[in-house]
Parts: sequence; C-alpha cells; structure tokens
Amino acid sequence: MDSTIKDFETAIAELESIVKSLEEGDLTLERSLELYERGVQLSRFCHARLEEAERRIEILDERGEIRPAPPALEAVGRRPDDDGGPERPR
Amino acid sequence: MSAGRIGLPFDEPPEPPEAAAPGAGAAAEPPARRVRTVGELTAEIRTLLETAVGEVWVEGELSNSRVWNTGHLYFTLKDASAQLRGVMFRSALKALRFKPEDGLRVVARGRISVYEPKGEYQIVCEHLEPHGLGALQLAFEQLKKRLAAEGLFDAARKRPLPVLPRAIGIVTSIDGAALRDILQVLGRRHPNLHIVIRPTRVQGDGAAADIAAALSAITSVPGVDAVIVGRGGGSIEDLWAFNEEEVARAIAASPVPVISAVGHEVDVTIADFAADVRAPTPSAAAELVVARKEEFGARIDRLGERLRAGVRGRIERMRARAHRAEARPGLAGWPARLALKGRLAAELTHDLRRLALAQTARRERRYQELRRHLETVDLRRRLGAVGGGLDRAHRGLHAAIVRTVAAVDARFRATAARLDSLSPMAVLGRGYAVCWNGGKTAIIRNAAAVEVGDAVRVTLGRGELACRVEDKAAD
Repeated sequence: MDSTIKDFETAIAELESIVKSLEEGDLTLERSLELYERGVQLSRFCHARLEEAERRIEILDERGEIRPAPPALEAVGRRPDDDGGPERPR
Repeated sequence: MSAGRIGLPFDEPPEPPEAAAPGAGAAAEPPARRVRTVGELTAEIRTLLETAVGEVWVEGELSNSRVWNTGHLYFTLKDASAQLRGVMFRSALKALRFKPEDGLRVVARGRISVYEPKGEYQIVCEHLEPHGLGALQLAFEQLKKRLAAEGLFDAARKRPLPVLPRAIGIVTSIDGAALRDILQVLGRRHPNLHIVIRPTRVQGDGAAADIAAALSAITSVPGVDAVIVGRGGGSIEDLWAFNEEEVARAIAASPVPVISAVGHEVDVTIADFAADVRAPTPSAAAELVVARKEEFGARIDRLGERLRAGVRGRIERMRARAHRAEARPGLAGWPARLALKGRLAAELTHDLRRLALAQTARRERRYQELRRHLETVDLRRRLGAVGGGLDRAHRGLHAAIVRTVAAVDARFRATAARLDSLSPMAVLGRGYAVCWNGGKTAIIRNAAAVEVGDAVRVTLGRGELACRVEDKAAD
C-alpha cells in the first residue's frame, strides 16, 4: 500500500480536502489532474482498509492477558447469513 | 412532635390564672426538700430524655458543621425558632454518600441524649439525609459541581472518536445485557471489527475501583483507540459506581476517547459528564463508535464521485472560459486574423530578408572599398612613409656612425702622429743613433760602461752597425 497514506482516518480526511479544493479551488488543469490521481489512490486505500480487518473478539483478564472470547460471546452479533465457516489464517 | 415535653420555657411563663382550681391548690403539698448534686440531676435528666424522647427524626438546617480530627462530625441543626446541637460519630458519617455542608436542609435520625460535662442535650445522629432530594442525588450534585469546577467536564477536553477504530475496548460486566447489546449492534454494523472486552463488576462495594482499574488496563492495550464503558439499566443504587469520583477520574485520564453508556436514556451519571461522548444506552454506544460498513463504503464512493465530478467540472470550466474568450468581440475571428498576421509576417520576413541582403551587400561593398583603400592606397602609402622614415633613419644612423668612426679615426690618427713624433725611431730619422751593448740588452749612455775593444751595436735611422770601441773619453 502507498507509504504516503498513514491510516484510514487521515486518508478520508485528505480525500475530503482534495474533493473540496477540486470543487471550489481555481486550480490549474495540471494540478487538478494531480489531485485527482491522488484522490483515486486514497479512495482505493480506504476501500481496501475496510475489507482487510476481520472480526475478532477477545477478553482482557485481570492479569492483563488477552485470550479469545468464549464461543457463546463470539457468536453474538454474527450475521445470520454468515455461515461461520473456517477462519482465514491471519 | 413531643417538643412540648422537652421544650423549656425561657420566656417568662404567663401568670397562673387568679382563680385557680381550689381543690388542686390545696392538694399540692410542698415537695420535701431533697438536694441533688449537679451530676445526679444531669444523669436524671439524661435518663428522662433518653427514655421519654428516645429516637427521633428531626428536620433543620445544618450550621457550624465541622469534622474534628477524631473523625466525628459536630453540628447545629436550626430553624427559625430553635437550635439543636448534634454529633455524628465517625462510623455513621462514613456511610454518608454526600458531604454535610452548612446551609443544607437535612433530616436527621438519632437519639436525644445529654452531654453531661457541658450539661447540653444533643442529638446523636445515626443517619443524615438531605431534605427534599435523596442523599445520592445530593452526592451526585456535589461531585458534579466539584469536578466541573476542576474543569473535568470541559468541552475542550472532549476528543473526537476515531472514524474507523482499529480496536474497540469494552468495559462492562461479562454476563450483563449491555455486553450482548453492544456486540449485537457492532456485529450487525461491521462484520470485521476487532473488539477487546475487559470484564468488571459494575455494582456493589468496590465496583467503582474495579471499573477504574479496568479502564486503565484496556486503554493500554495496543490498537484500542476507543472505549465503551457502561452497564444496563437499574436503580440509582445499582448505577451508583458510575457516579463515583474514581470512575470519573479514570475516564478523564484515558489516553483514548471514552464513550459512556450507563443504564437507560434517563439515567445520567457523573461518568457521562466525564466521558468524551455520552451514549444514552449501550446499544447506542455501539452505534456511535463505528459507522456501518456500508456507510463507509458509500461515503468513499461519494467522495470518489465528487472527485471525478470535480475534475470534470474543472475541465468544463476551462473549456467554457476558452469559448467565452473566443466569443469576445475583440477576439472575434482570431484564427483568420492570425492567418492574416501570418501572411503579413511572411511578407515582413521577406522584406526584412531583402533589406538585410541589400544592407549586407552594401556593407560588403563598403568593406571591399575599405579593404581596397587600405590595401592600395592608405596602407602602401603609409608603409612607404614609414619605409622612407626608416630609410632616413637608417641613413641618418649610417651617417652618424660614419661620422663617429671618422671622428674616432681622426683622433686615432692624431694620437698616432703624436706617438710617432715621440718615437725614438722618428728621432733616429732626424740623424740621431742609439748605441747598445754587444748583446743589445742595454743602451749605453755612459762611456765608462764600455771598455776599449768591446763590441757595440749602433742603431741608425735605417739599419744597424756592428762596431768595436777603439778609444774612449770621459766628458
């Protein structure tokens, strides 16, 4: 992924500001196209970031150790259409 | 109230009616004189008060309240007409949720007793509660006021939630309805979230400390960048831990934004004020912490669309501007004008070229002329002149040399002539002769230098003679 994009939050913010300056600013055609290219990059990053994470529920116990939540809890909120198939290896 | 029985008539009592019941007056025997000590009397009064009055509820305004270093609270309860001293021992005071303050209208429960060393009766208070509202409410108001004054609830302290949290922390009871509600909503909205739960007690003694510890633990888990703390609905006592100072401070100290979600919509706790975001319910907290995945997708798509539209608009605007420029009267038909200009330019170029050529030719001619002038006339003449000069100089020099040589020669000749005249040879030429010894090594100037018979030689103007001395004579 592009190393100039820090995280989802800053990517969205940058994309928003690019759109704003394209809509309002009186930019040169060259600059407009530059911004457009950057904007496309950013929106690709955001889409990818939305998909990359996967559901994970964990318990932090009193000793400060993190373990997976019991299946009963883990199942809460799973989509009905989710077949609960084998987890992809992380 | 039984105040009449213990109320002492400090004002002068009204005169007894003149016509008292005759029977009653006559029947009253003067009591037998019985002297008690102050202590005995006070003890009797104390017993009387404690048995006759005993436990009471009394309402009044707190004043002169002060906690001594023994930990006991001393105060005065008063209203418009009377005052009552009171004490609340440390053990009872500790159970109070609110802080007794002067001016507070309270209801006190306690036993009336007498403090014998001072001869003062007082209420030994076992429970104190604010008049009008409950003690918890008062405690709530007091803490809220104090923390607000500290700036703990300032709007400037509130942090925005991350747009898309990397991991969501949840601090609540592991088997409460709140946790299930939150997980349910989160799962529905976003199928791929990372959630870390820190189970904690949410009510009962020590719950506040538990919650505070859980908050500090979960906010230090890497990746957790938003935390939900809360519980489901219950009585004000059930929710009380969320009104404790400890919890409020733990929330305020969190390095990441905290969403409070305590009870139902109507339940407002101190934790809500301290949190960065207050959610009316745990489910609402889950909705606040992350937008639906579809919404994110739609938002990005919308931005993408606006991005494309922005560039298109930019290009359209440029095109429109170009059109407008063409349409402007001053620029009407500029392409034709440009062609015209082109022809003109070509003509001009041609003219220029011709002009340039003509000028070059003229220059060339002039140059040639100059060259010729230089070569044929000027240069030669100048060279001739220079040559003549040189010749003249040369000749001058030569003459000078010749003159010098002649002069030197003449001087040489004169000198030579003078030398000639001084030469002995010249004298010999005039008839003189020189007589040498026989070996011709010395000129004989004295006759005594030779003997008769010696050979001598005589040099003449021309030639030499070999001679022998025959005779000699002194001068």
